[in-house]
Amino acid sequence: MVKEIERAGIPVVHVCTVVPISLTVGANRIVPAIAIPHPLGNPQLDEKEEKKLRRKLVEKALKALQTEVDGQTVFED
Amino acid sequence: MRLELGKINITDVQFGDLTKVENGTLYVNKQELIDLILEDDHIKSVEIELARPGEEVRITPVKDVIEPRVKVEGPGGIFPGVMNKVTTVGSGRTHVLKGAAVVTCGRIVGFQEGIIDMTGPGAEYTPFSKLNNVCIVIEPVEGLKQHEYEAAARMAGLKAANFIGQAGKDVQPDEVETYETKPLLEQVAEYPELPKVGYVYMLQTQGLLHDTYVYGVDAKRIVPTILYPTEVMDGAILSGNCVSACDKNTTYHHLNNPIIEDLYKRHGKDINFVGVIITNENVYLADKERSSNWTAKLTKYLGLDGAIISQEGFGNPDTDLIMNCKKIETEGIKTVIVTDEYAGRDGASQSLADADPKADAVVTGGNANEVIVLPPMKKVIGTLDYVDKIAGGFDGSLRPDGSIEAEIQVITGATNELGFNKMSATTF
Repeated sequence: MVKEIERAGIPVVHVCTVVPISLTVGANRIVPAIAIPHPLGNPQLDEKEEKKLRRKLVEKALKALQTEVDGQTVFED
Repeated sequence: MRLELGKINITDVQFGDLTKVENGTLYVNKQELIDLILEDDHIKSVEIELARPGEEVRITPVKDVIEPRVKVEGPGGIFPGVMNKVTTVGSGRTHVLKGAAVVTCGRIVGFQEGIIDMTGPGAEYTPFSKLNNVCIVIEPVEGLKQHEYEAAARMAGLKAANFIGQAGKDVQPDEVETYETKPLLEQVAEYPELPKVGYVYMLQTQGLLHDTYVYGVDAKRIVPTILYPTEVMDGAILSGNCVSACDKNTTYHHLNNPIIEDLYKRHGKDINFVGVIITNENVYLADKERSSNWTAKLTKYLGLDGAIISQEGFGNPDTDLIMNCKKIETEGIKTVIVTDEYAGRDGASQSLADADPKADAVVTGGNANEVIVLPPMKKVIGTLDYVDKIAGGFDGSLRPDGSIEAEIQVITGATNELGFNKMSATTF
């Protein structure tokens, strides 16, 4: 899906846990997620902390979307 | 560490007044077994049923299959850390009821439990159709949480296997096989001219009912470590898995790991089999990185020339597999990976979720997406209620006449990634 949307000319950020698979399939902007069963959250945190974590992840993805890249890039921090 | 495995051939199973083995027949005292399992107050009721090779019987949903074994000499007992004290096992002598198994089934725990047909086309796909099975059909108490039910079902199977295994304690085995692995420096010195080969044994540990236990420890909490191969034969590794039936390693598979068997067969002939490295398949990327770094480190530390790596399950564990392969190869150690495929019903899709040019020696257990039709059976042990829901099944899998159309993914052990089964593929 990542590749098809990009082929249509729309930049994509792939937020995913298993970065190596994302690299193998050819995503260009990759934001590492939390864990496979809960990529965008962490049930071990309390609600307030988790919300912070989730917001940070979304903001990071939005920032990645606006960043020019030259080949496959993993946005570590 | 040296282990003698005394194999007692079992050719039939019957109910009887005493649980015993006589002239190749396993007799099971049904009530004793029921009472033992009902000691657990998570279980409301239990039925014991027998299924023999060739009978028109379908067992489903199957959770685990366990071979009855008993320790007769040497330290510890079978299933250490769970059924017996957490003593290091793998030496002395163990008796095996070869040809018999305990099968746990009953209402579904997760959504990835399996089917065993004792006859017909489905029977060809599962090694358990050739065994004399004591089936434990469990009914949990109302309101029991899924993970508590999984634990209760797992323990019921182990208890039953431990109990039935005792019947082999004083029986003269039909065949005794000896396996020995020496401490590393001695083992290396024994066959200095032969290539040193190790086995990287990946265990399913994704959590959420996808778990494996090592000496009672949940393996997602371990870092890769080294075992003597014979420890595995005494039940050091147990399945707690409700993952896809076709490629999960049941406890039976662990006890009879064919990669370990085959490496021993060639040990001292054309290879020097120096040991087993166990590792996990966790759901955090950092865990995957750490564990694969450690398997590579340990293969180098052991001075291996080659390693066999086996996977369990599919999907994101494909990445663990490829990471292990890549990092071990980078250490200059040759690898062969053992996996299976999800290549679509027509076999045309990419087989694994991850890949690397270094993974250039691959053994496959077959394509789990292949569709099969299983004819109706006269008797069902367990229930057909979940056939449409288990992984590999779909809406309408169960037909009105009791036949089943589904992917072979639903069959317990069909594409086993230890190579326990018959299917594979060759590239020309």
